[in-house]
Amino acid sequence: MKKNRSLLFKVTAYTVCLILAILSVLPFWIMFVNATRDTFQIQQEALSLVPSSHLFDNLKILLGKTFDPLKGLTNSMIVSVASTLCTVYFSALTAYAIFAYNWKMRKPFFTLILAVMMIPAQVSVIGFYQFMYKIGMTNNFMALILPTIAAPTAVFFMRQFMMASLPLELVEAARIDGASEFYTFNKIILPIMKPAMATQAIFSFVSSWNSLFLPLVLLTNNDKYTMPIMVSLLRGDIYKTEYGAVYLGLTLTVLPIFIAYFLLSRYIIEGVALGGVKG
Amino acid sequence: MRKLISLLLIAMMMFSLVACGSNTDSTAPAETTAAAAETTASAGSTEKEVLNVWSFTDEVPKMVEKYLELNPEFAAKYEIKTTIIATTDGAYQPALDQALASGGADAPDLFAAEAAFILKYTQGDASQFAATYKDLGIDVDAKIADADIAQYTIDIGTNPNGEVVGLGYQATGGAFIYRRSIAKDTWGTDDPAEISKKIGPGWDQFFKAAEELKAKGYGIVSGDGDPWHAVENSSDQPWVVDGKLVIDPKREAFLDLSKKLKDNGYHNDTQDWQDAWFADMKDAGAKKILGYFGPAWMINYVIANNAGDTFGDWAVCEPPVGFFWGGTWVLGSASSEKKEAVGQIIEWITLDTSEQGLQYMWANGTLNGPGGTKDAVASGKVMSISNGELEFLAGQNMFDVFIPANQFANGKNLTQYDETINRFWRDQVRAYTAGEKSREAALEDFKQMVADNLDVTVE
Amino acid sequence: MKRRKNISYAKYGYIFSLPFILAFLIFSLYPILYTAVLGFTDYKGLAATSWQFLDEPFKNFELILNNKSFRQALVNTFMIWTMNFIPQILMALLLTAWFTSRRNKLRGKGFFKVLFYLPNIITAASIAILFYALFSYPVGPVNSLLLKLGIVDEPIYFLVSKMSARGIVAFIQFWMWYGYTMLILTSGVLGINPEIFEAAEIDGTNGIQTFFYITLPNIKTILLYVLITSMIGGLNMFDIPQLFMQGGPDNSTLTTSVFIYNQAFSGSYLYNRAAAASMIMFVIIAVFSAALFFLMRDKSEIQIRKEAKAAEKARKLANKAQGVI
Repeated sequence: MKKNRSLLFKVTAYTVCLILAILSVLPFWIMFVNATRDTFQIQQEALSLVPSSHLFDNLKILLGKTFDPLKGLTNSMIVSVASTLCTVYFSALTAYAIFAYNWKMRKPFFTLILAVMMIPAQVSVIGFYQFMYKIGMTNNFMALILPTIAAPTAVFFMRQFMMASLPLELVEAARIDGASEFYTFNKIILPIMKPAMATQAIFSFVSSWNSLFLPLVLLTNNDKYTMPIMVSLLRGDIYKTEYGAVYLGLTLTVLPIFIAYFLLSRYIIEGVALGGVKG
Repeated sequence: MRKLISLLLIAMMMFSLVACGSNTDSTAPAETTAAAAETTASAGSTEKEVLNVWSFTDEVPKMVEKYLELNPEFAAKYEIKTTIIATTDGAYQPALDQALASGGADAPDLFAAEAAFILKYTQGDASQFAATYKDLGIDVDAKIADADIAQYTIDIGTNPNGEVVGLGYQATGGAFIYRRSIAKDTWGTDDPAEISKKIGPGWDQFFKAAEELKAKGYGIVSGDGDPWHAVENSSDQPWVVDGKLVIDPKREAFLDLSKKLKDNGYHNDTQDWQDAWFADMKDAGAKKILGYFGPAWMINYVIANNAGDTFGDWAVCEPPVGFFWGGTWVLGSASSEKKEAVGQIIEWITLDTSEQGLQYMWANGTLNGPGGTKDAVASGKVMSISNGELEFLAGQNMFDVFIPANQFANGKNLTQYDETINRFWRDQVRAYTAGEKSREAALEDFKQMVADNLDVTVE
Repeated sequence: MKRRKNISYAKYGYIFSLPFILAFLIFSLYPILYTAVLGFTDYKGLAATSWQFLDEPFKNFELILNNKSFRQALVNTFMIWTMNFIPQILMALLLTAWFTSRRNKLRGKGFFKVLFYLPNIITAASIAILFYALFSYPVGPVNSLLLKLGIVDEPIYFLVSKMSARGIVAFIQFWMWYGYTMLILTSGVLGINPEIFEAAEIDGTNGIQTFFYITLPNIKTILLYVLITSMIGGLNMFDIPQLFMQGGPDNSTLTTSVFIYNQAFSGSYLYNRAAAASMIMFVIIAVFSAALFFLMRDKSEIQIRKEAKAAEKARKLANKAQGVI
């Protein structure tokens, strides 16, 4: 009786998981396959699970447009890496300021951070755009990178982490050794913060990599386009339809993330899980 | 919480002061950065100067490339940086507007605009960005007279001060472009003169033809977007008159026309510029369809590219109602530092009537060597010496149809909001024909959309 | 000696938080206030360089609140968020229960987790366009599949029907986020003291009872965290609806963010109205956040208070120590 129930549970659970797994992969598989098919094949029969042989034709068409995946990747990389570094480093620093020092404004400051967490960027986009426009920072990656110095969620998360796993005695010990405060933070605190920083790095990288709203508004020079902007312009090609090429373009945008993800999946899953416990 | 609020309030007060203060002198920093950008550009003057070209297709950029190829000394001085953003998702205008408004080294020097929104850049909200052709160093009045440019092209391209700021290179009077084999199978003839009498004149006759085609298992058009362009640009009034929304009776009647097409299965229910619409050009759709509405560019730049094995099985005839559709105007930017260079290119594209001029090559398909695609062009002088015979049309001279069609081309029913308003309208028409809502509701919702999103009065 | 240290170290609190404060003031607070100010002005039109305060200060707010598209956008935003969040949280809870079940150990958990989280890391722009292509009409992969399986006789025009367009957007959101939610909930459950479960087992509770009476109450704060982050994300949904159908068909996937973008950056460039709409959204989000913040309060507030007390104690002790010396 008990065994039957357990069997039934397993069958249901595995079926549901399998369906979800297929659901996760299938759209991407269709995309990969259609990237290798020519327009006529796609028009005749949009669904196929078997790749065809037109990958290079599609690539030629794609590169013939003003689609430059390499440039997009580079730009996205610059913005995402810089944003991630800013977020991670300055959040740790700010969290440390709240955690390790007893200053007058620290309580109001922490409350402020909690409040700012709730304010979404979109609310201020009009003012932000006008401001950037007036100081001539449109088409400048700095306009996307510098704001990430103030990342309230990351600060909040890091502070929680510090409270759980950073003994203040360690700081005291460093002071006795005559280390400067800044040196202590960089050489002693940061290494301890690694797991928390890794988690925040993942979140911050993914959100920066995928961000469309602000870049779309701020970047008008096509040398500066990030990957999501390029993707958003991919579908539009008046005069001729090349769905194979569109699918290929999408594939190219997705592929680097795919590779990175599967290589790092173990750490990423752990990192996200950490985010759950502490956040 | 109370502490937080008081803190925010103090900060707010402080910064509202800063905000007000910064407004008065805010233009200054923008200027300095623009100036800084220029100095960096001129510092590298041993290198080529960059001309920024913005367009929504690769047509104009390719022309510019050709110009550089024909003029090596020009090419030695300038290099071209192109930005192409398609109009399909309405993405071109916002991007172009911001690039023009931002100014500086990244701003466009030369840009293209389509009939659906050209008025914005010649006469409307963005007209301050367009340089007059005179400022570009073009002797525009004499040249226009000499080239015999179609009047509507000039009307559309003239700014409120009466100066020409943009000209097109095409003539976009419309025709009906159909499949010879399907016409023959249905009516026993593929002669353009006969077919034009079958499908027109007028929409009643058009639907009679649709019924006859249906009996044979064919559709008459691919989707409702095809007759739409004929309806849109044969109407008497534009969408907006004196800042108020106007629904021309002919455009309103499109609701019924579209419904009738859909309910009777006269088409494949595709959407123009979407995959399935292109698929119908090479018989890849659900049923074969007779043809498309369109000007000469439609044949060469759209159908021919997508026609596959149906090459040579096409012909053009007079449409059921006269109309024009599209066209590209070329403009120079008022803030450009390289006006002379921009002017040279623009003059070559829009006003040069020699055999080395763009329009001659464009009309005769010799831009990229012989045997290329042909198009009807704006200059009457060039048209008179050009040959519109196409193998794609089994040797038919398409200019026989398109030259008379150009009488329907006028700029009087355009507005600067056409692209946006058309999108709202087509969206509502589609909802109505698909049975999602009533005719009244579709009209109501259309008006609401315009009122909510644009600075246009709706009564 | 000790006193000097205390005084000199406090300043590092200010120094180390300075970058954050500066970035926050310049890139967050100032734009928010600037946006708020613009909402009261006549600032509109492409490349307009000056603006003036309106004679009727709340004109823009009035216009926006009476704007049917904006109201529709609000309704859509909530509708799409609900349609995505409820199945998302249920599915995540179900998977969490399965993956953390102590009785029935499933194999391949790691593998499934990796796959379920996958959609979350892919550029939303790519996903929107991919799904648009998948659902195209009359020929498209989904229609082909349905026809092949004999579920329908003729292709369905998914993207002309309001509900199905909303449904697809909600599904995309669900699909992108249930894995994330599941991972966070799972880790929350794993963080619960195992002794609690052991005690329950000894008491003879079955799996379902354990889940409802022990697991759920213990991850309450995490559930609230998920709710808040999802709500803030949901109220700002932009990429998917914008790229999927530009808010169409017939405004059915128009979210407030898309609305604001359209007002400000396309058509008539109505910056002032967009700013007013932003501020209205700000108020809505603030109210919701405050409500949820209040619910979440117990944990962090108590923590802060505790810390304050501890700090106070430490200072007293230090003073005392000084007095002794």
